[in-house]
Amino acid sequence: MIPRIDISQLTRRLPSGGRDLTILDRVDLSIAPGEFVAILGPSGSGKSTLLALMAGLDRPTSGEIRIDGEPIQSLSEDALALLRRRKLGFVFQSFQLLGNLTARENVLLPLELLGPDDAPARADEMLAAVGLQDRGHHYPSQLSGGEQQRVALARGFAPRPAILLADEPTGNLDGATGRRILEILTGLRQREGTTLVLVTHDPSVAALADRSIHLRDGRVEREEVAQRETEPVPSLSEAL
Amino acid sequence: MSLRFFLATLARESRGSRARLAFFVACLSVGVAAVVAVAGMSASLDEGIRVEARQLLAADLAINGRRPIPPDLDLAKAGLAGAQRTDLRETVTVALSGPPGTAGRSQLVELKVVDGDYPFYGTLDLRPQRPLSELIGPDTVVVGSELLSTLHLKQGDILRIGGAPFRIAGVVLSEPDRVSVSFTLGPRAFLAPSGLARTQLEGRGSRIGYRALLKLPPGFPAQSIAAAKERLELALADSSFYRIETYKEAQPALRSSIDRVDRFLGLVALLSLFVGGIGVAQSVRAWLASRLDAIAVLKCLGMRPRELFPLYLGQTALLGLAGSVVGILIGSAVQLALPSLFPDLIPAELIRPWQPTALLRGLALGIGVAILFSLPSLSAVLRVPPARVLRRDAEPLPRHRWATALTLLALGGGVWGMATLQSRSLDLGSRFTGGMVLVTAALSAAALFISWLVRRLPRESMPGRIWMRHGLAAIARPGASTVSAIVALGLGVLVVLGMSLVERRLSNQLATAIPPDAPSAFLIDIQPDQWPGVEGILRQQGATRIDSTPVIMARLSAIDGRPVEQIAGVDRRERRRREREEEEGQDRGGRRDREGAKRWALTREQRLTYMKDLPADNQIVEGNLWTDPDVAEVSVEKDFAEDLGLKLGSVLRFDIQGVPVEVTVTSLRTVDWQTFGINFFLVVEPGVLDKAPQLRLAAARLPKGSEQGLQDALAASYPNVTLLRVREILEKVAGVLARIGVGIRFLGGFTVLAGVAILGGAVSAGSARRGREVALLKTLGMTRRGVVGAFAVEYALIGLVAGLIGTVGAAVLAYTVVTRGFELTWAFQPLPMGVALAASVVLAVLAGLAASARALERRPIEVLRAE
Repeated sequence: MIPRIDISQLTRRLPSGGRDLTILDRVDLSIAPGEFVAILGPSGSGKSTLLALMAGLDRPTSGEIRIDGEPIQSLSEDALALLRRRKLGFVFQSFQLLGNLTARENVLLPLELLGPDDAPARADEMLAAVGLQDRGHHYPSQLSGGEQQRVALARGFAPRPAILLADEPTGNLDGATGRRILEILTGLRQREGTTLVLVTHDPSVAALADRSIHLRDGRVEREEVAQRETEPVPSLSEAL
Repeated sequence: MSLRFFLATLARESRGSRARLAFFVACLSVGVAAVVAVAGMSASLDEGIRVEARQLLAADLAINGRRPIPPDLDLAKAGLAGAQRTDLRETVTVALSGPPGTAGRSQLVELKVVDGDYPFYGTLDLRPQRPLSELIGPDTVVVGSELLSTLHLKQGDILRIGGAPFRIAGVVLSEPDRVSVSFTLGPRAFLAPSGLARTQLEGRGSRIGYRALLKLPPGFPAQSIAAAKERLELALADSSFYRIETYKEAQPALRSSIDRVDRFLGLVALLSLFVGGIGVAQSVRAWLASRLDAIAVLKCLGMRPRELFPLYLGQTALLGLAGSVVGILIGSAVQLALPSLFPDLIPAELIRPWQPTALLRGLALGIGVAILFSLPSLSAVLRVPPARVLRRDAEPLPRHRWATALTLLALGGGVWGMATLQSRSLDLGSRFTGGMVLVTAALSAAALFISWLVRRLPRESMPGRIWMRHGLAAIARPGASTVSAIVALGLGVLVVLGMSLVERRLSNQLATAIPPDAPSAFLIDIQPDQWPGVEGILRQQGATRIDSTPVIMARLSAIDGRPVEQIAGVDRRERRRREREEEEGQDRGGRRDREGAKRWALTREQRLTYMKDLPADNQIVEGNLWTDPDVAEVSVEKDFAEDLGLKLGSVLRFDIQGVPVEVTVTSLRTVDWQTFGINFFLVVEPGVLDKAPQLRLAAARLPKGSEQGLQDALAASYPNVTLLRVREILEKVAGVLARIGVGIRFLGGFTVLAGVAILGGAVSAGSARRGREVALLKTLGMTRRGVVGAFAVEYALIGLVAGLIGTVGAAVLAYTVVTRGFELTWAFQPLPMGVALAASVVLAVLAGLAASARALERRPIEVLRAE
């Protein structure tokens, strides 16, 4: 089976203070379709850079990234944008909702870009899935942090992406809200069958994943595979 | 991306930025208003003239000449059988109040002698309301209402013209063919031919203008009028001495001056639009800076750069549309208000305020400027890194070299295109663009230099209060948008001050043009036998430096044996071709003026004189004076010789009342016309013309206040003699100049307004940063007054730099125009320059502080909490 994401010898260097700083150093990683992978590591270990490279938001200095077998590192800006539109969804630590759009419009946006006929219905469905069916007309500034992240989750899953990339999705939230968000996230992933790559520095978050990749100084330090059979996954309705 | 999605996103993207974008609209609308006001006004006047063309000519066709129009002119031969004809004679003379034998008050009048129906079109507004032909007769006159007030007369009183008494039978309130904007020497007086015959004017004075008005027979096809004009030219014997106008050409002279003013003012207006464009660019930059995160998210969600760019471009175009519409409304309001603001400047009766082409031009230029000037800022959209969603400090994407080049090319080309469109001249448009680029580059370089200099000042060791140092530091802050504010305000100062310096220099020249010993009055049309008497009156009135010269009126009939008709005739065909080209809108200003001067020199009524020694203000530059005993010699003024194509040895044949006289050019001379002495283009050797019929021309210096008394005395004894007061005429010219000056300064005001708006916008764009700054300064213990002081120093410095550069630029511009354009000497004018500098500082401080009001009002805790 072709891996959903296949990374080999990925290196990213950035000029800093007159010399090159190595952020990622020859990383190899393969993620199967439907897999949930957590990327862990302390600050500056290269987690977010790895995520940005997988999303085509940044370009590697060397090495290769394949999405569904297709190398993406030499694609043009336009081609990368189309790739993100069709295959990738995002959830960020700082939510990154558009402040001038309502919650519903934020969810609708990636659908409109993709142009399916059922866009409005799908947006409403996703808002309902995150429990915000009554808040669609609110602007982000009128929502709490947790509610904003739920809108972000709805937006991320709305176009049915093959891969969802989440960057510290609970980083800006208190413990209880964070947990609820994680439950919705994992519930939606299971329902939609999405490949999930989640960056975190919190081992308890990583514990939910099928596999954890530990980064340190830009290199893969170790990998851990979770013992999935014994742990029940909370259902989406329970989380809400 | 579907169109629906594009439009929906367009609408959504504008949310939340509206307050900031109000500034965009304000900047643009000021410039568009100026463009629309100028274009609308001139289109309106032009249309007014076209619509009223028949009335303004008072006829379908008019033949004008300096010699009588042949009474037996065969109209049928010209294909105008059945056309009606009215002959007019026009001259300037002096009218004197009261019956003969009494002392009266005198006044220069423009006399019009009407022989036939007048006018054919339009209305002559008379009191009493009766036809003119019924009011004027052998002993009656109809005069302009202003003559009654100057001479303290009323209807029924006696007025003497050319020595003969006339009863004032009526008053004229308006004439169809006398436009209120044109230059006049005095009020109107209408006489019948039988009335003129009673005066001593006919036959003596030679400055009569002849005019035949023709009314075409009913049913004459309008499209045949040009052909009729050509046939009429053929039917006239000496057609080069006449000029034929048709109503279709509708006041070509007036329209061409409106056209010239339109092109010039159009460029001044365009400049204020461009200054507004700088503000537009600035507000787009500030707007995009606040949208960087959103743009990154959109890219992250899969929106392509090529989809994002049109989104923001479309947004800009929409704003451009809004700004243009607001500008059009303001411009139209200005246009409606102008005639009542400047009643002397614009004839309200010709205004047609609804001018779709002017509105469209405003719309097109407004949107064009909005898009072009935003392009460089908009290209930033392409460079926003999508990785910004993860790291705020993500590096911007590499610059597309072709996109940058294309943007600059579009901006430069667009500016050039608009300037060419506004001036309807490739040459003028190119020069304007070049000048604009140079001035903007100079202003930007100066602004950058000042900010560099301030950065290097040792601020710690600088004397003065802390707010002084803080204000200076603000100028040098990286990313301070001082450059665009300085460029905009500087351009405004440059235009307003530059124009005002030129105008002041010209009016000053007119006021002081007359050297202290120059004559203050000229007396024309004196009969030789009247001279001793006239001279006696002059002496009685205390006149000094009395000078008098014989004048012989002559026609130039041939140059080196080649008849003038032939020389001018060749030109006439050429002229017609050019007239046609002109109607097609092509440009060739300089050549046309040159040709005009040549034609005028050939066909004018030549005034010759004879004298042994030349006056002191003449200088021989080629040849020698009166040295060849074998030929009759003539000395010709150098420029006039060039117009006629004369050189030493050329033989001129003159026709002096039927007698041919041949003279040979033996010297060329220059004349210093600024001495205002009596001077001639053509001076003939004594002995050649002494017996020819002649008049005398005199000049004298009159004691202040004696002009009216002299005119009254002369009008009583020598009614055919006309006194022209130099000062009065110069004042009238200065008046015309002042009117144009008002127009230019009014428009220049728009540029300053745009500059001030931009400064205000630059300040309020940074209002969030300023709010933080105020909060910090207040937290650290600075009082509100101290903060205001620091801001005032910053804005004053911006105003000072803009004012300084603008003032220097204005001086350079005015110097070039005055010395090159008008060939006058330059005089330094410190006062207006100082005023401009001070005004620039005051305006900058006021605009800056007004725009910082909100930031100044905020309490420190609000800002610090929000951080």
